[in-house]
Order: sequence, then C-alpha cells, then structure tokens
Amino acid sequence: MAENICFFAFAGLTLLAACTVVFARQPLYSVLSLLVVMFSLAALFVMLGAYLVAALQVLLYAGAVLVLFLFVMMLLNLEPEALARMRLFTLRGAGLVVGLAIALLLIAIVRRGGLAGTWQAAEGTVESLGTVLLRYYVLPFELTSFLILAAIIGAVSLAKIKHH
Amino acid sequence: MTIPLPWLSVELFACAWILVLLAADLLLPEARKASLWLWTLAGLGICAILLAGQAIAGGHHLIQQMFLVDPFSRFFKALFLGTAAVVVVMTRPFGRHLAGRLGAFYLLLFTAVLGMLVLASVHDLLMLFLGLELLTFSLYIMAAYLRTEARSIEAGMKYLILGSLSSGFLVYGMALLYGFAGSTHFEAIRHAFEVGPVPPIAVAGLLLVMAGLGFKIAAVPFHLWVPDVYEGAPTPVVALLSVGSKTAGVVALTRLLFGAAPTMAGLWTNVLAGLSAATMLYGNLGAIPQTNIKRLLGYSSIGHAGYLLMGLSAGSQSGVEAVSFYLVAYFVSNLAVFLAVTWAGEQLGSDELEQYNGLSKRSPFLAAALFIGFLSLAGVPPLAGFVGKLFVMLRAVESGRLWLVAIGAVNVAISLYYYLMVIKRMYLDAPPTSTTFRLDRLATVTLSLLLLGVLWLGIVQEPLVRQILVSVRP
Repeated sequence: MAENICFFAFAGLTLLAACTVVFARQPLYSVLSLLVVMFSLAALFVMLGAYLVAALQVLLYAGAVLVLFLFVMMLLNLEPEALARMRLFTLRGAGLVVGLAIALLLIAIVRRGGLAGTWQAAEGTVESLGTVLLRYYVLPFELTSFLILAAIIGAVSLAKIKHH
Repeated sequence: MTIPLPWLSVELFACAWILVLLAADLLLPEARKASLWLWTLAGLGICAILLAGQAIAGGHHLIQQMFLVDPFSRFFKALFLGTAAVVVVMTRPFGRHLAGRLGAFYLLLFTAVLGMLVLASVHDLLMLFLGLELLTFSLYIMAAYLRTEARSIEAGMKYLILGSLSSGFLVYGMALLYGFAGSTHFEAIRHAFEVGPVPPIAVAGLLLVMAGLGFKIAAVPFHLWVPDVYEGAPTPVVALLSVGSKTAGVVALTRLLFGAAPTMAGLWTNVLAGLSAATMLYGNLGAIPQTNIKRLLGYSSIGHAGYLLMGLSAGSQSGVEAVSFYLVAYFVSNLAVFLAVTWAGEQLGSDELEQYNGLSKRSPFLAAALFIGFLSLAGVPPLAGFVGKLFVMLRAVESGRLWLVAIGAVNVAISLYYYLMVIKRMYLDAPPTSTTFRLDRLATVTLSLLLLGVLWLGIVQEPLVRQILVSVRP
C-alpha cells in the first residue's frame, strides 16, 4: 500500500514536471523542471531495486548533463525576441508525430500482454553490475577507457591554443 | 574466469605505450619532442616482437568468447603494424606543421593502431564496435589536425558527420542481431543463424552492420566522404585511412561474415558482388577527371575496395586468401605511392596534378617510385598489384560470376588510363621550374623497401602464398 502511494506520487510528479518542461515559456524553467523529472525517475528506479541506475541517473543526468544545459543556456543568454523567432511550430509538429508513434507503440505492447511479469526485478546493485562488467565484459570495458582517452586527447589537441 | 594475458600481450603493450606516449608528451621539453616519432616506431617494433612471440607459440585462443587470437589475426596485425610504421616515416617531413601538437598526433596514431589490432581479433559485436570507434575517433581528429587549414577542418568535419551516421547504422544493426541471437558473441549469432528460423529483422541487422563496415572500406554507396577527406586531410593520415582503415574494415567484415553468418552466405555473397561492381565502376570512372593527386588516389581507393569485395563475394576460404594477398599487394603499392606523394607535396607545395609536370627531371627517384607504384595499383605484370587482381578474379570465376570478372577487367583498363595520364605528366611534360630535390635517407630506404616488395611479390609469390595458406582461416 505504501509502495503504491509512493509510486503514484513519484509517477505523478514525473508527469507533472514533464508537462512543465514542455509548456514553460522560459527555457530556464524547462531545464529546472527537467531536473525534477530526473530526480523522480531516480526515485522510481530506487523503488524497482535498481540502485545503481538510480545513482547514475542523479549523477549523470541531473548532475552533469543538466548543468551543461544550464551553462549553454546562460552563455547564450537568448533574448525573448530571439526565442519567439524560433520556429516552434515545426518543432511542435515533429514532437507530436514522435509522441503519437511512441503512444501507438506502448498501446501495442500493452495489448500483447505487455512486459509485466516477463522480467524479474533485476539485481541492480553496484556489486552485481560490477561483477558482470569486470568478469565477462572486462575487455570491452577497458577498451572503452582507451576510446575515451583518445577522444579527450583529441579534443584538447584540436582546441589547444598555440603557445609560441 | 582467468584471462590468459600472454595472448593479449600485443594489445596490452599497445595500451601501455599509449600511456607512455602521453607521459612523454607531457614531460619532455619542447625541443626534444621532435624525437617522439622514434618512440612511436620503437613501440610498434616491440609490438611486432610480441606478435612474433605469439606466432612462434601458435594456436587458436578464444578469450572471453570475444577476442580470437589465431594465425589469421596475427597475419593482419603484422600488416597493421607495418602500415603504422610507414605512416610514422611519412610524418617526418610533415611534422613541422604541427609545432607543439606532435605528441598528441603520435598518441592518436597509436590509439588507431590499437583499434586495428582489436579489429583483427574481433569475435564479438561489442568489440567490433569499440575497435572501429577507436580507429575512427583517432582518424576523425587526425584528419582535422591541420586546424589552420580550412580544407583539413572540412575533411575532419565531413568524416565525422558521415562516420557518425555509419556508426548509427552499425549500432542499429548490432541491436537487431543482438535481439535475434540474445548475445553479442559471434558464436552465439552463428548458432542462431544455423538453427533458424531467420526472421527478416535479423537479415536487416546483418545488412545494416555490413553497411556500417562498407563505410570503413569506402564501398559505393557509402563512399561519399572519400574524395573531400582525402583531399583535405594531411597526407600521412590519408595513407593510414587508405591502407590501414580499409584493411581493418575488410578484416572485420571477413570476421563477421565468416564467423557469425556463414549460413547466410547465399545472401551476402550476392550483396557483396553487387556492391563490388558498383564500387569498381564508380571509383575508376570518377578518378578520370580529377586534377588533384590525393582526390585521384581517393577515387582509386574506392576502385580497389571493389576488387576486395569481389574476392569476399566468392564466399569461400580461397576467396579470403585471394583478398589477403590483394591486401598485402595494396599495402606495398599504395604506401609507396603515398610516401612519394607526401614528399612531393612537401617539396612542390601543392597536391595539384599540374605540379607533377616533369617530375622525372626534378626528382628521378620519386618519379620512378610513383611510376612503379601506379602500374602496380593498375594491375600491370610483373608487379604485385597484377597478381592480387589475378587471384581475386580467379576466385570470382570459380564462384561463377563471370559478369563481375568482366567488369573487373574493364576497370583495369580504365584505371590504367588515369594512372598513365599522371605518368605522362611526370615523364613527358615540361617542368614548371628546374629546381631539383631529394628525399632524406630514412624515406629513401623505406620507399626502396616498399618498391622492392612491389617487384618481389610480382615475381615470387610462393613464400607469401604459403604464409597465407597457413594462416588464413576466417
């Protein structure tokens, strides 16, 4: 019972905040509402027992990605007129199409019996994920670190200012 | 589950050397950074020694279901290390454009090598993706490395955008294959294809992954990036793109098709044959009107991708053997040409074909090197390229695709035309100025060795063929 209450509270909060993301006039408010969406999604993950995913959700999305959004927004510092000039109509059209497609997909899935019951609540602990990552997928894991190293070195060397 | 580290020694050492290069770039005083090319060469040499040690020990080792160390992978790892070594030699005259950013350039060269080493051993979709991305990430950045030149930036941007698109195809295809087989391991995917039934979605997945790899080897219709990137990127990087990246793409494609989908051969051999015909025709016809030597070589490399696909489209072990020989022949011929073009570009100050007028009077050795390299690329006996084309076409005849062989033969004639036009410029036209120039000793030795390889493979094929027969079992 308490679980249900929690679920509906957080799910409702997610939806509400998601609506604010779309309908807010100020982009800054949109980003801040997105932050609420991320946090309540993290709470839903916690309820599913996926603690690591929840933590990553907060760290990566709420922490890194959204801060990046805020930075860009503040650096651009768009005037209201500039915002008005953006062709919101086509964007809204595209969003509508994508939203409808996803809705149809969800309806199809639910009609076929849905995903309910097919998946046990996975072991979402750091331990289980770490075991899989470092036991069975250690080669791709290590290779990824070198991929990121190459990207970082490359980005720095392309952006570096000549010191002569 | 323990990992047999000795079988990963080459890759592990490459990883370690990347970090050594990083430290060296940060710690060495600016004046001594010019010696970083030697560090890179030394790293490649030690990799080669470790590889030789593995070859002596021999055998097949599948590590963690995803990394296959066998004679086939060792053969191509040796080829990749050789390619990188020649590219390092090429960067010597070009290095002075880079000023303080030389260290990162060699580091990225080494990450590209690591990517190619992984691709040679790939036996899992995840590793395939990571190896390809490691190689391509490094190349994106190296292509744009001359950041004060608009052309170089344009090359990097175009390569990045079209490369990301192809990675999208690749990942989407992989997701479909994973959904079909329930695993990313090639063994599991092969098993799923064998047991069947094969839903259309799995076929779509396979074709999408092939499309992603087609981008790497510059096959039509995934070739759009080639001419601009070849023209704008620094010449040593283009050499790495043209020989290293293409070979890695072909090896990965071979691994995927023979390792994960041998039962689908009826489908993919036909797809490859069609792509091969289109690729040969497009590349060779497109090369004719070019006025820039790097663009010309770009189109010619598209043409060569067509021949490589022709060999793979035989769908047999002997087809892969022919492709392996072709790749070695392409390695010596094309790297000789690119080494010569790098030096000529430095001395002439431009890559326009007009500048090559009368090159034989200004630098007889360079002109002779281009002469031999071009004839080998065109497929004139008794040079390496001829034997490679002959083997590939014989396999196509065996598989009963005479129409494809006919197109291949016509394309030899077309390619001969545009190569001979350059040779005519170098030997018959009057030079714009009469100043002469020479290569430095290292470049002369490397170029001579490559040319010797071109002649040797054209006359005595037996040792290499024997080696290929022992090692090539995809």
